[in-house]
Amino acid sequence: MSGYTRDTADKINVGIGEFSVGSMTMTSIGLGSCIALIIHDDYLKIGAVAHIMLPESKGRDERPGKFADTAVPLLKTELIKRGSKPRSLQATIIGGARMFEKFRGDLDIGSRNIEAVSQALKVHCIPLVTEETGGTSGRSITYIPTNGGTITIKQANGEWKEL
Amino acid sequence: MDLNEKQLDALQEMGNIGASHAATSLSQMLMNEISMTVPEVKKIDIADISDYFGEEICAMVVFEIQGTIDPAGYIVYHVPLKSAIRMTNAMIGMQDEDREINEMDESALLEVGNIMVSHFLDATAELLGIVMLPSPPQLAIDMAHASFENIVAQVALDINEILLFSTELKESENGIQSTIVLLPEENTLTEILSLLDNLLEQVS
Repeated sequence: MSGYTRDTADKINVGIGEFSVGSMTMTSIGLGSCIALIIHDDYLKIGAVAHIMLPESKGRDERPGKFADTAVPLLKTELIKRGSKPRSLQATIIGGARMFEKFRGDLDIGSRNIEAVSQALKVHCIPLVTEETGGTSGRSITYIPTNGGTITIKQANGEWKEL
Repeated sequence: MDLNEKQLDALQEMGNIGASHAATSLSQMLMNEISMTVPEVKKIDIADISDYFGEEICAMVVFEIQGTIDPAGYIVYHVPLKSAIRMTNAMIGMQDEDREINEMDESALLEVGNIMVSHFLDATAELLGIVMLPSPPQLAIDMAHASFENIVAQVALDINEILLFSTELKESENGIQSTIVLLPEENTLTEILSLLDNLLEQVS
């Protein structure tokens, strides 16, 4: 259980159920079944990240970043508040892996998360331009809104990928 | 859920009994002495889990707790990669530490985890006077945070703070370190606390 630094001045780690909006570099480490939803505005060079844990809020409004159906409208609203035009918004989703075979319960929450986020993006008319989802292993991401919305993915096997 | 000091003490003692039994079984399997930390009970916001479980690759053997209380939560045997390899090596008398983790390590982890967790739950359940059994184990060798958040997603629909019970076990001859983590459902905690309350009343 090693520690690590978070929320340094120019870099923010978005924890489970959290969200962040702005032009600073945003990271989300160790995404398993959770999904990092990134909405980028290349015109204003800003963006937003949510670390989504579950598909449906079923009316819970305490942490909108935690659920797919509340995180999508939340990020959209936050970006529009900062001057984004709805048509400049583009979404990327990363994560939704299946870390364990199924238990009696439903541990394959990853695929349900992927479906729910994709659906919510459709409902809110935000194009899903890139998707790096599914599989059976974890990923960490770094998103830089000012640099053309570059997203770097570190995979559990140590490989890096740039979107 | 807010816990008072008496409740925390009782939970810690319960964890201590479970972990001691698990440690004894580990020491028998490794044929070496195991030292154990005092069990910690921590309340963690789900957003801060990355302060405890990072990107490092580790093995997590996960069990669902079944029995009288259902669903009861999860118990996780967390072993850093290096320690997992050392553990297999120690059991079969191998030396090579720089090898890749393989199927043999995976079977060893499942087996060791199963035995330890069974002992942990047996002792805890006996104390509480209930039945607690581990489900068949599931193993992930991956980023610690990625595996753990999958388990948290099962218990944290309605809550944003989880209670983690963790006890670290150390074997110093081969340098094998591992942690047993108990992640109860919120209703389990309420039941356990009332069982512990009864127990304390009987004693006093």
